[in-house]
Amino acid sequence: MTYVASRVLSSLGVLLGAFTLAFVLLQALPGDAVMIRFENPELGLTAEQIAAIRESYGADSGLLAEYWHALSGALGGDLGYSVASGAPVRVLVGEALGSTLLLAGLGFVAAVLLAGLLAFAASLSPFSWLATLLRSLPSLFISVPVFWLGIVLIQLFSFRLGWISVIRPGPVEALILPVLTLAVPISAPLAQVLLRAIDDVRAQPFVAVVRAKGASEPWLLVRNVLRNAALPAMTIAGVLLGELIGGAVVTETVFARFGIGRLTADALNAQDTPVLQAIVIIAAAVFVVVNLAVDLLAPVLDPRLRRRVQA
Amino acid sequence: MSRSVRPLAAVAAAVSAVALLAACGSGSAGTGDATDAANGTSDASGDAEAAGDVQTGGELLYLEYQAYDTLYPPASGFYPNGGLIANITDKLVFQDPVTLEFSPWLATDWAMNDDATEYTFNLRPDVTFSDGTPLDAEVVAKNFDLYGTGDPDRGFAVSEQINNYAGSEVVDEDTVIFRFSAPAPGFLQATSANGAGILSSATLDGDADAFAAGNATNVVGTGPFVITDETVGSELVLTAREDYDWAPEESEHQGRAYLDSVRFTVTPEDSVRIGALTSGQADLIRYVQAYDEEQVTSAGLQLFAPQTQGVNNSLSLRFTNEILSDLKVRQALVAGVNTQELVDTVFTENYPAATGVLSHTALGYVDLSDQLAYDPEKAKTLLDEAGWVPGADGIRAKDGKTLTLVASEAKPQPLSRDTLTLISQQLKEIGVDLQILAADSGTYATAMKDPNQVQLYHSMVGRTDLDVIKSQFHSKNRNALLSNDAELDSLLEAVASTPDPQVRLDASAAAQRYLVDNAYVIPLFEEPQVYGAQNYVHGFGWDSIARPKFYDTWLEQ
Amino acid sequence: MTLELERNVPDPADETPDGLRSPIDVDPEGRTSLAATAERAPAPWRRVLPWLSVGLAFAVVALVVAWALAPGLFTAQDPYTGVPADKLAPPSAAHWFGTDPTGRDLFTRVVYGARYSLLGGTVAVGVGLVAGTALGVIAGSIGGFLDELLMRVVDVLLSIPGLLLSLSVIILLGFGTTNAAIAVGVTSVAAFARLSRSEVVRVRRTEYVEAAFGSGGRWWSVLLRHVLPNSLTAVLALAALQFGTAVLAISTLGFLGYGAPPPTPEWGLLISEGRSHLATSWWLTTLPGLVVVVVVLSANRISGWISERREGAR
Repeated sequence: MTYVASRVLSSLGVLLGAFTLAFVLLQALPGDAVMIRFENPELGLTAEQIAAIRESYGADSGLLAEYWHALSGALGGDLGYSVASGAPVRVLVGEALGSTLLLAGLGFVAAVLLAGLLAFAASLSPFSWLATLLRSLPSLFISVPVFWLGIVLIQLFSFRLGWISVIRPGPVEALILPVLTLAVPISAPLAQVLLRAIDDVRAQPFVAVVRAKGASEPWLLVRNVLRNAALPAMTIAGVLLGELIGGAVVTETVFARFGIGRLTADALNAQDTPVLQAIVIIAAAVFVVVNLAVDLLAPVLDPRLRRRVQA
Repeated sequence: MSRSVRPLAAVAAAVSAVALLAACGSGSAGTGDATDAANGTSDASGDAEAAGDVQTGGELLYLEYQAYDTLYPPASGFYPNGGLIANITDKLVFQDPVTLEFSPWLATDWAMNDDATEYTFNLRPDVTFSDGTPLDAEVVAKNFDLYGTGDPDRGFAVSEQINNYAGSEVVDEDTVIFRFSAPAPGFLQATSANGAGILSSATLDGDADAFAAGNATNVVGTGPFVITDETVGSELVLTAREDYDWAPEESEHQGRAYLDSVRFTVTPEDSVRIGALTSGQADLIRYVQAYDEEQVTSAGLQLFAPQTQGVNNSLSLRFTNEILSDLKVRQALVAGVNTQELVDTVFTENYPAATGVLSHTALGYVDLSDQLAYDPEKAKTLLDEAGWVPGADGIRAKDGKTLTLVASEAKPQPLSRDTLTLISQQLKEIGVDLQILAADSGTYATAMKDPNQVQLYHSMVGRTDLDVIKSQFHSKNRNALLSNDAELDSLLEAVASTPDPQVRLDASAAAQRYLVDNAYVIPLFEEPQVYGAQNYVHGFGWDSIARPKFYDTWLEQ
Repeated sequence: MTLELERNVPDPADETPDGLRSPIDVDPEGRTSLAATAERAPAPWRRVLPWLSVGLAFAVVALVVAWALAPGLFTAQDPYTGVPADKLAPPSAAHWFGTDPTGRDLFTRVVYGARYSLLGGTVAVGVGLVAGTALGVIAGSIGGFLDELLMRVVDVLLSIPGLLLSLSVIILLGFGTTNAAIAVGVTSVAAFARLSRSEVVRVRRTEYVEAAFGSGGRWWSVLLRHVLPNSLTAVLALAALQFGTAVLAISTLGFLGYGAPPPTPEWGLLISEGRSHLATSWWLTTLPGLVVVVVVLSANRISGWISERREGAR
């Protein structure tokens, strides 16, 4: 129990750390949102007018005061208002989060399926050349720039073949290409974990015994591999979350989707600190929760660990 | 009162005739685009009949390059803002995009006193905002009071198009008088521009945030379209008003817009916009890049390239910088840039090489191509005279300082990066090292205001009034030059504050000559807005500075 | 994560965490033959193939390094000045990779760009390696509260989305090849810290190191003589892997508009500037893209080879 309590406590510490680091980083950026929004010469404002606007926005108050304001607001669930648009951050992030969760969730599921398919196909392939080919695919998957992949997929499937519409597509249609784009690089490390687990299982002596007793190999693999691979796959999942957000920035830009990724890129461009702060809180919270879950679940999944933790 | 319209319209006609004469005098540059660009609408006359009867209904899918950032009309210079304001608001006066003549719209007639310090407008009686409130003198006065004086407390700027504004007087329900502290001859044109789109009283009560992204559905005008749905940063739906019945007299039709709705979808990737058009997924797209024009035409689709008819796309030389304070260095830069090669390499015939400070279709245009000619030998001589001698790597230096200059890459300008890359190659020939500034928006915003960080500023501005030159160069407006030149300012003020039309034309010509004589600018090309459309899109139009207008647009089904 | 857990779980996260792109841990082929030997005799070419691919990977890296050091040996053209009349020419004998919108030879730009991209990758890995390894070694060697604290700091770094972190760092430092590389390097600090820490902890628990401590060796001399050399291969494998990842990450920054300033022929910038021409001039983005893919694949292969040797040696 104390173990759980200490883990939760340190998770909260990580959350606070992320919030503070983000705050310091964003405050240190040159320029600020008010300046970026109003100094655009296309707006035709004079220097005096901009100065007056700055003053009216209270753009220059103390650093500690701002930190405390942001932190206490965040604790109370008040994320403030976007400087670039004036919209409540809660609304902006709320609108964006649903779309990104759907994209990232499906992307992750697709990545797992793709990785599983690849790993098992490589392991069970009757042709060694095919196995070698399949095994080298993950390396290729992570060597391709994501934005490039997205643009190529659109050119090919949407513009050349005309199979999928990228502008105003149906709800399912809208997700096919972005999910694929997001899934390809994510699937690579997962496939590697699975391949490694499969090899480990196959190298174990009991496999030969079970096989001699007449169990079919696919079934054997699936059962044992899943058990062996679950833990590393879960651990990796926690890390991949951050990547899903990074991937979403690129994917959402290429596919003109609105979501957390696009919001992040736009907010950073406008140095819209309240929005960025909220995104960091959400990302860090998800990271912390997933890692906490992995840590707490690990002993359940692997009896060897249970002993050590208790010892 | 209505009689007073005539003299004014005559003045406008005279002014535009002068402009057209000047344009014809400039020779053949840019005739290639005349068929498309000068029409003002995609169906000139024959096309509408050829396509059959006008059909009402349907939704047009319009792909926009950037997301809008505010719907405050004076900030409509930014294309995405202007494209929306042009369709959801009406203006007091209509300006024909081709002849540039004025005709009634929300105002039935108007008059101005002799020194252009007082304008009286009579309003149509039957106009309502989309929230149901009527348009009256009270609300029109409120609009111009805000645009003319701004309100820093609420984050509102003064419109760059309204000069010398003093105040308004509501005479009766449909008569309003505007007064000016000094002559404001450009005001009539200002009332026809997107910068003076009329909004409802409730809308004007909000602060700047109420006009920013996320609040578009609350911005209420009298226009043929109403914003009914918004997804921040990605999509807007403009729905036609059934009861709209106050189109300009000159308009091709009256009554509601033909389309049921227009869907503005922000698609920043160039390749996706163009691919969506050629594969039939989108109806109309803005910002077809020059290298993609052929894709549109070879697919048999429509390409429109209306000109923005203002200050040309140019590089402003910030002469307050130490290196550029030398006239000879500035003249060398002007002579060292080959705009024809630029246009041939990076652009197409829809982007005519500049022949002066202003576009050849702009009011008051003066052909100054003699002084802007490409002459690398002259450039080298000038730099030699100025004391800059070539170093081992070909880049010139003086007193241990290399001749390195920085140009700003401007995202809203078409192919700014390719343009500057090529100019950098050209200037290298004469021994000038031109760097291209790439920075985040915060750093960029600061650097742009510092002549020691950005010496060559890439920009343009569109407005069909002589005042446009003041907007771009006056130290109290956009101040592209970061100028401290009082003589330039007074020349520009003369343009904006002289009531006599002919004197204004002369003043504008004087300002243009001054800018070129002092080598303050390198005019590059005349900037169009390039749209691509499916063949079933008819009647697509644009205003005098090429912002899209969907009122007459219809889809052949 | 507790110490016990990290030590005992085969934890790929320890080797992978990184914001922009999760790297791959080992190469496939070597393991294939291991697993397969149990049942059937491998074809001769399958024993040769892994070595062939390693050789090829080293050859690619050597070639690219040569490009970076002496680009003039590989091309006679100017990477910055083109012939405007020859713009957008498809690949030909004169222009192997075609030309760009201002008529510059793309192959020449790729060759000259090697310098920036390799430098970028190296600096990124260097930042991650030095800062991360220092953190990890200190945490792993000293242990206790400091270990716990430093690892939480690493968690904080991991919890902020990597792309957001590197974009902020870039804005903070300003645009440029080196700054972009530092920004990408910052996101890999956590990966190196976790790996080196778990390596140090592993090595410390081996008998001879315990013996070295037992015989009165001071911790830093033991660290230098036993712990560091033994942890090195794992860190090296990660470094090779991160190199490929960094090159990709830098190109992603270029795509988002935060890359090297033009006209730097940095590879990521070439790919991202050429992408708008994909439909009409495919070579502009495809060929530099292929170069990046081949180099990243080679770096990954070398990383895998280092890991295999390490496991073979154990």
